[in-house]
Amino acid sequence: MIAFENIVLQVHGKTLLDKANLVVRPGEKAVVLGPSGCGKSSLFKCVVGALPLSGGAIAIDGMVLNAQTVGAIRSRIAYIGQEPVLGAERVREALLLPFSFKAHRKKRPSEQEVVGQIERLRLSADILEKTCARISGGEKQRIAIARALLLGKSIFLADEITSALDPASREAVVAELFRPGITLLSISHDPEWAKACNRKIAIADSQLREETP
Amino acid sequence: MTVDLSLQAMLLMYALMLVPLAIFFHLQLGIVRETVVAVVRMTVQLVLVGLYLNYVFAWNNPFVSLLWVAAMLVVANVSILNGAGLKRGLFFWRSLAGVTGGTLLTGGWFLFAAIRPDPFYDARYMVPIIGMILGNCLRSNVMSMERFYSGIRRSEAEFTTYLLLGATLREAVRPYLREAIKAAASPSIATMATMGIVSLPGMMTGQILGGAMPMEAIKYQIGIMVCIFAAMVVASLANILVSLPIAFDDHQRLRPEIFNNIP
Repeated sequence: MIAFENIVLQVHGKTLLDKANLVVRPGEKAVVLGPSGCGKSSLFKCVVGALPLSGGAIAIDGMVLNAQTVGAIRSRIAYIGQEPVLGAERVREALLLPFSFKAHRKKRPSEQEVVGQIERLRLSADILEKTCARISGGEKQRIAIARALLLGKSIFLADEITSALDPASREAVVAELFRPGITLLSISHDPEWAKACNRKIAIADSQLREETP
Repeated sequence: MTVDLSLQAMLLMYALMLVPLAIFFHLQLGIVRETVVAVVRMTVQLVLVGLYLNYVFAWNNPFVSLLWVAAMLVVANVSILNGAGLKRGLFFWRSLAGVTGGTLLTGGWFLFAAIRPDPFYDARYMVPIIGMILGNCLRSNVMSMERFYSGIRRSEAEFTTYLLLGATLREAVRPYLREAIKAAASPSIATMATMGIVSLPGMMTGQILGGAMPMEAIKYQIGIMVCIFAAMVVASLANILVSLPIAFDDHQRLRPEIFNNIP
């Protein structure tokens, strides 16, 4: 569960959210809508503690985000940006990168699990040997999603992750992320994606408002 | 014994400076004034140091020598933070601890375990050896601190990705730490690899000019090179590690206010 309680978000001195509230319950698929610059991406960065809040609190599965809980919260959430950073030279290294950290060392997936996961996202096993600099934006997005799924994350923050995908690849991503056990909070300008989400949240007048169909 | 340089000889050497100054002037580089100021500063500083060291060596008092070493450490520390573009007010004490640790650990090893002068605090050994180590540590620390923090600042998205993938702060900074230590150590590795062929090192040359036998001078040179190299690596690593709690907030975000030039 993701809960925003009276959050105040200021970026470069401009108040984007003022005492805004929202709760995304486990398993829900929500999309945040709003014009560019309204604070959607900044809001996501606050959830993972990459950007400070000016007021209020964010809680993940009942844990209030603070200096003591930030590590545990980051280990539960997958944040995938529009242009994901893979952080390694080769695709295989990028996929296995988090498993070199102490927190995930014991969860290292087998080769079969890695290949299975990328194939479910319509990527072939050949890509594992390619350098990250030589793959397309859409492939990078799917590698980042595959990495998060291999980590067994259950809360996904997805910022325009279908922007570089063809319809078939987008279908594959939807099939993976719209599973019942996954809580999804996303940003998208893709009408198909928004249609697939069961909640639509708009940022308007510095508030998070539920949009009714 | 060394041939003493007369005033005329000194003036002849200063005259050599006219060549680069003429080149700078002709090429309109705008660094003539800067160069003259640097030469004047060098002269004044070295004369003062020469006068002071005369007393330090004559007194041969461990407390006076240590006071001199402490002054060198403080000045070196300020230069490191300025050179790396980091706020002195935030890092001063931690950086001083890092540089002091690296310098005194290896300098102490060289002096008290290897050379063992008698008395052990002999200023003729302690002051120049610590000075040489510190001078080299300064250069390597400026490079490592600058490379480390500017690397993280430039690659903020990558650094944040490591944290979001479950890395601790120590794990997330590791790629930048590796780059910084490599950058600090590489010039000295190249220098050691070509020493004696491409260059004749200063300490050895000085000892030979002072009347020492070449083989004796070489032993000191090898010792000091190893010592400098170890000090550079230890001080660079220590300085970065002790600065981490200041440079990052409690959510492991790099604090922008640590830099002198805030973007």
